[in-house]
Amino acid sequence: MFSFFNRLYDKDILFKLVFLKRIRLFEGIKKRSLIHVLENLQERTYLKGETIFTQGDIGRALFLVFSGKIALSRLDSATQKSETIAEVHPGEFFGEMALLEEMPRTATACALEETRVFMLFKVKLESLLFARPKIGVVIALQLAKIMSARLRAYLEKN
Amino acid sequence: MKADRINRCLSLVSMKKNYSQYLLPVILALAGLTFLVLARGAVFPFILAAALAYILNPVVKYFEARGIKRSYAVTGLYLTAGALIFFVIYLLFHSLSFEIEALQQSWPAYAQRIQKFLTNLNTTLINNYPFTAALKMDEKLVRYLEAVPPFLLSLLPALALMFAVPFITFFMLLGGSSLIDYLLDHIPAKHAELVLHIASRIDSSLGNYLRGILTEAFIIFLIAFIGLIALNLNYAAFIAILIGVSSLVPYLGAIVGAVVSSIVAYFQFEAFMPILKILIFFAGLRFADDWVIQPYVMKKAVKLNPAVILFALFAGGELGGIWGIVFSIPVTCVIKEIVQIAVELQETEFRWKPKPEPTRISIPYT
Repeated sequence: MFSFFNRLYDKDILFKLVFLKRIRLFEGIKKRSLIHVLENLQERTYLKGETIFTQGDIGRALFLVFSGKIALSRLDSATQKSETIAEVHPGEFFGEMALLEEMPRTATACALEETRVFMLFKVKLESLLFARPKIGVVIALQLAKIMSARLRAYLEKN
Repeated sequence: MKADRINRCLSLVSMKKNYSQYLLPVILALAGLTFLVLARGAVFPFILAAALAYILNPVVKYFEARGIKRSYAVTGLYLTAGALIFFVIYLLFHSLSFEIEALQQSWPAYAQRIQKFLTNLNTTLINNYPFTAALKMDEKLVRYLEAVPPFLLSLLPALALMFAVPFITFFMLLGGSSLIDYLLDHIPAKHAELVLHIASRIDSSLGNYLRGILTEAFIIFLIAFIGLIALNLNYAAFIAILIGVSSLVPYLGAIVGAVVSSIVAYFQFEAFMPILKILIFFAGLRFADDWVIQPYVMKKAVKLNPAVILFALFAGGELGGIWGIVFSIPVTCVIKEIVQIAVELQETEFRWKPKPEPTRISIPYT
């Protein structure tokens, strides 16, 4: 009987939910509600060396790194040289600007190794905001906090 | 000079290389399309099955997101749906089969009475307005009345679809999502974000519409069934099912209900009052549908102008008959979303229209 339930249950889901619980963007959402977040995420694997998006592309999704590593690089318009500005590891995310406005990306994202990502599209966030406001409000608040922190760090650096 | 020529040559070679990479996908797509056109007769059940799989997929995904493996979720869904359908058919069987049998027996008598009534009407019309004789309405009417039973018989092949389609859908539900995942993993990485964005926009628009209209049709079926039983009309189950199915086509449900029920009431009661009651009931149902059910059930669905809906229905009928009408509104939803996405892409990708500033960004971060 026990083995039947074991066969019926997909352990991957539990693993993904535990992973989402650790993400700063979803802090404060109950584990039960995280199922709705998971339903709205799109998974995709990028192979080593593949470009996820290029600087100047219009952004439409936020990327959560599930496994692997991503490099973010920016092209300096004066020197025409590209330099790596950050590496994104499992549990971290990038491209959050796309959730707020469909504007050109400010960096290029490239997979440094085989990387599995979750994408949260602007459309899906909007549907979460209206269909499940309790979850949507937490994500919107966390997003605002993160944006503010990143902007502050940027200003302090310059 | 020579180096320049070599460079130009190299760039031409690389351009040729660029085009050659699309050769295989284009040949495969063309071959697939030709095959589909040649075997179009066999394709139709698969289109229906794909539509059914698309409607059922959210239920399977619901269980999948809660940790049930897909194969078990699909099997469970089929067993539950099978048991439910069996139960409903068992409940309806006596009344429905009795009603169909009764209708079969009484149809010739009804047809005769309709014919007599309309012939009388026609004679009065011709007596009062002689020019209407030229229209030869009586002949046309007889032809229409004779055509009703063969038309009903011609619907029988659809029964074969009723068995084939769920069977195909089962396998589509089992293997379909892994095929889509495979395709998504193999589209060029650079375009993945845009393709997925477009796919999710169309999916949410179409999904909201289908979920909305199916719920609406079910609610209308329930109200019509209870109302017709309360009005003590014969063939209540049969008419309610007809109304439920026809309300999948906008505006049709209440009209079909009012017309069919009035005819049945005319023969059953042979009085004016019950017909008036039925007409009031269906007018009420139409308003309830517009003011209560639709705003609640369809609040997330695409808003379509009634003129667009009517055009879509006519165009669907012209292109694909009854099935064209059934598919016309979902297809219109998809077209509307695609047009919207295309306009937005023009505005964002090619900077046709500058985005308005949400606030004065010149105020510094403080």
